[in-house]
Amino acid sequence: MAEFRNRTSVTAIVVGLVAFAVVAMVVDRRSAFGGPEHELSGWTGAVLDIAAPVQKMIALPFDLTQDAWRHYASLLAASDTNVALRARLVALAEENLQLREALIASGRLARIAEIRADFEVPMLPSELVGVDPSPWFRSVLIDRGRDHGVHSGMPVISEHGLVGLVTATSARAGKAMLVLDRQSAVDGIIQRSRLRGIVRGRGTSEMDFEFVVRGSDVRIGDVVISSGLGGVYPKGIRIAEVVSVSDPGSALMQTAKLVPAVDFGRLEQVFVMLRRGPTMELLYAGEQEGALGAAALEGSGP
Amino acid sequence: MKRVFALLAIGALAPMIQGAAGTFVPLRYCPDLGLLLVVGLGLCWRSTTGGVVLSAALGFIADLLSGSLLGQHTLLRIFAFGAARACSQQLNLRGVIPRAIFVVVLTVVTALGTGALTAFFDAGPGVDGEMLRELIPHALINGAFAPLGVWLIERISNWLNEIEGGHQLLPLQPRNRLT
Repeated sequence: MAEFRNRTSVTAIVVGLVAFAVVAMVVDRRSAFGGPEHELSGWTGAVLDIAAPVQKMIALPFDLTQDAWRHYASLLAASDTNVALRARLVALAEENLQLREALIASGRLARIAEIRADFEVPMLPSELVGVDPSPWFRSVLIDRGRDHGVHSGMPVISEHGLVGLVTATSARAGKAMLVLDRQSAVDGIIQRSRLRGIVRGRGTSEMDFEFVVRGSDVRIGDVVISSGLGGVYPKGIRIAEVVSVSDPGSALMQTAKLVPAVDFGRLEQVFVMLRRGPTMELLYAGEQEGALGAAALEGSGP
Repeated sequence: MKRVFALLAIGALAPMIQGAAGTFVPLRYCPDLGLLLVVGLGLCWRSTTGGVVLSAALGFIADLLSGSLLGQHTLLRIFAFGAARACSQQLNLRGVIPRAIFVVVLTVVTALGTGALTAFFDAGPGVDGEMLRELIPHALINGAFAPLGVWLIERISNWLNEIEGGHQLLPLQPRNRLT
């Protein structure tokens, strides 16, 4: 009798836990299409808050060794790089001046102001403290959270290009899904030919550029930037470079393979853009901040 | 009770260590510490109820740190514990090689489960060639670390039990030895 009771209680607990896991997955998936933000609070948030400093501590000796080596290696080439960069700076400053003059001359000062407003998004530097513990997902843990103004849906970039999107936050840490993740899809365009497609993560170090009509003008070496049309990422952020174009055979669409602009293996510092895209604002419209953002968007017009 | 909390703390630390290690080594070459811990629990933990709850809690912590759906690791860790417990009662999983083989198979099954759940919830493509290519080295690494991992969990569990003043745990006896 006691054994039967024991077996029944074990079965009940297992069924309860499995039900909890399934409900959690359903709720989690539904929240991806609207609803509350993934703002982890209480003990769930505490796990993320604790994880950030713990992972930083664990990685510290490796970081120090790596930094020392990199500094030494970069010192060797510093002088040459310095000269080259100075020359490039002068050239870019000159080019910038000429472009400004051209814009002013064409009477597009208002457009300049608009562009500036589009691009002057406040950025928060953040350190990458850990990666996803599962090899099947590509996300990272950053050391900035709600207390620093970071919320779900905010794009994350680095000086080289697009990194990903904040998917969950606690008070002092955040989780960001990388563009490499199999769940990630970014609306992109080829900078040269303005051809549109979807940049999809494959869970590896490469990505796919999908839904490209066969025979389109895609070449190896083309740079893919964000189109801004998905309403998640701002327009013009460098995403990747085309490394190969598939032979479509008899298919209507062809796919190109991309190598990300960001070297995710060496990623240490990122910048969180402290303004969500319009889609994310609408998605999280329940919040006051989100509602204000959506209202502002409606007011601004196309 | 102290034993449960201590193992929970170790279990919570496992994905953090793995996450930190992942910044230097590709994750497919890192052993899945969480999975090894759960397998260790399945093989040496006396109370099935306690083991299931502990495994689920460890899975949930992994979910919080991972980009997976919340609950995905929870479900798979419960499954892994159940599989380890059931197989330990039917097969002789005391040797180094049987344990390694068991963990290789379990890694493959849980990875396929991850792919299937992801596809089912439309949160990305399911199991594809890329995943399988990553799975092979990861499963082998897990298998290589399995005997050591399980042995460590047994030692830690016994040590914690002694601290609590209990008796040393004995490994579960297989009912029918098939290997």
